[in-house]
Parts: sequence; structure tokens; C-alpha cells
Amino acid sequence: MLIAVQIPTALRAEIGGTKQVSVEASTVRDALEQLELLHPKLYRSVCEETGAVRRHINLFVNLKLVRRGTGLNTALHPGDTLTIMPAVSGG
Amino acid sequence: MTERVILCIGTKKGLFVAEAAKARRKFNLRGPFGSGVGVNTALIDTRRTPKIYASSCNAFFGMKILVSTDLGKKFRETKAVPAFPKDDGRALANIWSLEAGVGKKEILAGVEPAALFRSNNGGDSWELVPGISNHAHAPHWQPGAGGLCLHTIVRDGDRVHLGISTGGHYLSEDGGETFKASNTGVGAGFFPDPNPEFGQCVHKIARHPDAPGRLYMQNHGGWEERPGIGVLRSDDYGHSWYSIAEGLPSDFGFPIVVHPHDPDTVFVVPLETSTRSCPDGTPAVWRSRNGGGKWKRLTKGLPRKESFFTVLRDAMTIDDLKRPALYFGTTTGQLWMGRDAGEEWSCVFDALPPIYCVKVAVV
Repeated sequence: MLIAVQIPTALRAEIGGTKQVSVEASTVRDALEQLELLHPKLYRSVCEETGAVRRHINLFVNLKLVRRGTGLNTALHPGDTLTIMPAVSGG
Repeated sequence: MTERVILCIGTKKGLFVAEAAKARRKFNLRGPFGSGVGVNTALIDTRRTPKIYASSCNAFFGMKILVSTDLGKKFRETKAVPAFPKDDGRALANIWSLEAGVGKKEILAGVEPAALFRSNNGGDSWELVPGISNHAHAPHWQPGAGGLCLHTIVRDGDRVHLGISTGGHYLSEDGGETFKASNTGVGAGFFPDPNPEFGQCVHKIARHPDAPGRLYMQNHGGWEERPGIGVLRSDDYGHSWYSIAEGLPSDFGFPIVVHPHDPDTVFVVPLETSTRSCPDGTPAVWRSRNGGGKWKRLTKGLPRKESFFTVLRDAMTIDDLKRPALYFGTTTGQLWMGRDAGEEWSCVFDALPPIYCVKVAVV
């Protein structure tokens, strides 16, 4: 199914300024694999080379934080939005 | 084209490039490039048409390498950055060192976690150097306060010296195929064994090309019970080391720099051990003109009090003009220039972000 992926402002330069892309995915892991394939610069900003999501990046499916649930195995359903968000920081 | 002095200043908030005529009366500042992102290392590669490379290490989104072909007027990203194989289990955390490698094209990158990568196409692809990156000792190395980093790469033909914190000094004599820990005489104050085979917290290694057998090392000193292990010298290509710290106010510090025209002249910035800042709030560069036998304190023009900054391992350098100037950057964002190899100091920039590295070239 086609899932919308929301791109944060800080990473839009990695994808030509786009705010949102669509990928075919049934889990969050699928979605990241599609990003790696279709948008490798964006993917490298979200995931380490091990495949782990970077420590200061949070992924949400709709309003639910992926890290607190079933992680990358979180199922996606028609109409879901996967949102990439950097953690807050200062200094 | 008239020769210009180019300074690359890596800071917590990006890379600045400063340019001046050879007289160095006024530096014009450009940047920050990679704005808002820390730059731990830069390389001014003068082997062909000069290129500037800089690491850009974003704690959120990972690493980039910036490259400029117009002396730092504009930068682009290289097509790739060093990356561990997917099944390796390690993930790149930082790029601590960029150095020119073999021939006219090779670039070497020392990274965190401690490993070495090479590129033969200007940084557009990278390969792991397994001789050190997968060394049998690697699982036993431990991170220092700055992380587990390979921060120093010194090449001399087929010899390659590496500084790892905390791993120690590793030496290759076959062009980087294999490496051996080479730490005889390099002490450690944080192990029960004062002279371990490896695991020392080396801070920086320097040498002069005309005296390749002579190396200088700023090691992690400042240990009351193991005095003098912080500032060291080797006369046998890094196979063994001995202390040259006598006469310094502290053997703790980060950078160590050799005069471009005299292998006997070496500079250090002693710091208080507990605070990593200038002793008594009074900054000074110390110079030896006889290879570490005697040291002289250089302070003319530097603040006389109330200065509690740190000079980090890559934040001091020297240009190679006939009467060279020494430069250091501080964690409080000041860039100082010491004319006549540190005899007289002036503040070039007073309010940059905290400075991580300073590199210079005359092009």
C-alpha cells in the first residue's frame, strides 16, 4: 500500500525540497528500505549504516512513536502517515 | 597568482575560511559553511589544484564531507562518506582526521569509532582500511572523553603512524597493509600497568619531513604518580619513546606542532589537568628549540590573566612561510596568530564559535 512519509524541514534539502514522499510499504522497516532505494541521501540522514534509526531521530506512525511500540516492525495501514522528526536540542 | 595564506577554522557551528596576503596583516573571513554543524577536521590539499575538505558531523543526521575547489568560496558535499559494511555492527559517529595519502589523489579519513578509510576519487567513494580498522586489538580499545577516535594520521612513505584515543600509537611499515602497536615508553595513567602494550590515550603526533625518524607525541599526561608521560619523543621512527616533559608547567595538553623549517623546534600548549584550561588562567605556548631539551614560555601579546580556554588537539598549526606564524584556536572562539613562530601574538578573530581545528596552507 502507498504510505505518505513526512519529511522535516531540516532534511528537505536531501530530497530536493520536498515535504512529503510516498512509498509502498506494509511496515516501517519496509518504508525505510524504500527510502534507502529511492532516496539514499535522505535515508542516510535517518538511519546509520547498520540500519538502526539514528539516536536523535524519532519516527511516528500517525501520532504514535514507533520506538515505544513494536519498532521497525510496526504495521502500516492504508491512510497512515509516517513522520520523520528530529529530537529537540539546543546549545 | 599572488600567494595567499588560507586558514580553515573548524568550529562547533561550521567551517570558516580566512584568507590573507603573505604579510598576514588582515584576514578576510568566509563562512560558516555547513552552518550549525561541528567541523572536527579539515584538509587543505595542495598536491594539485588546491582543494579544501572538511568533515561536517551532525549528531542528528550523520556525517558529510564538504569539498571546495575555489579556496573556500563555496562548498559542495562529496558523493559519499566513510561507512562501515552493513554487517559490521559499527556505525560512523564522527570524522576526526582528513589527511593526504599516497600519490596525488588518495585521501585518508580517521574516524570514530576508531577506524581508517581511504578514498582515491576525492571523497566520492571510500573503502575501509582493514589492517587497522579490523585489528585484533580493536575490540579492546576504549573511548576517551572525546569518543573512541582515530584522530592522527602521519605518513612517511611506507610508514604510517596512527594516533588512537584510547588505543595508542600504531605503526605500519608496509604502506598501511598491517599495523603494530608501537608504544614502548608511552605511559598510561589510567591502567594498573603503567606501560601497556596498547590502550594509551595519545592526543597528537607530529614530525618534520626532513627528520622522519624523529617524532613528537602529546600523550595524556597530568598523572602525579606517573610524571612526564605526557610529552614524548621518538628517535627511531616511533618504535620507542621517551619523555621530554621536563621544564614544562604541565605535561597535559592536546596539540603538538613542529616548526616547518627546523625539526628541532617543537611547540606545545600545557594545560591544567583537572580543568583542561590554561594554568592559572594565563595562556602560553611553550617552545623548545632543541627537540625538547629545554622549553621557553611564549606569551607576548597573549592575555595575562582570566583566560580559561582549552586548545584542542587539532586547533594549533603553523604556516610554512620563511618566517612562519603559529596559530591556535580556543574553545572560547578566539583565533590567535603568533608571528615569528610564536614570538608575538595577536588575536585574529575574537568571537567565533568554539574552535575544534585550525589548518593552514600557503597557496
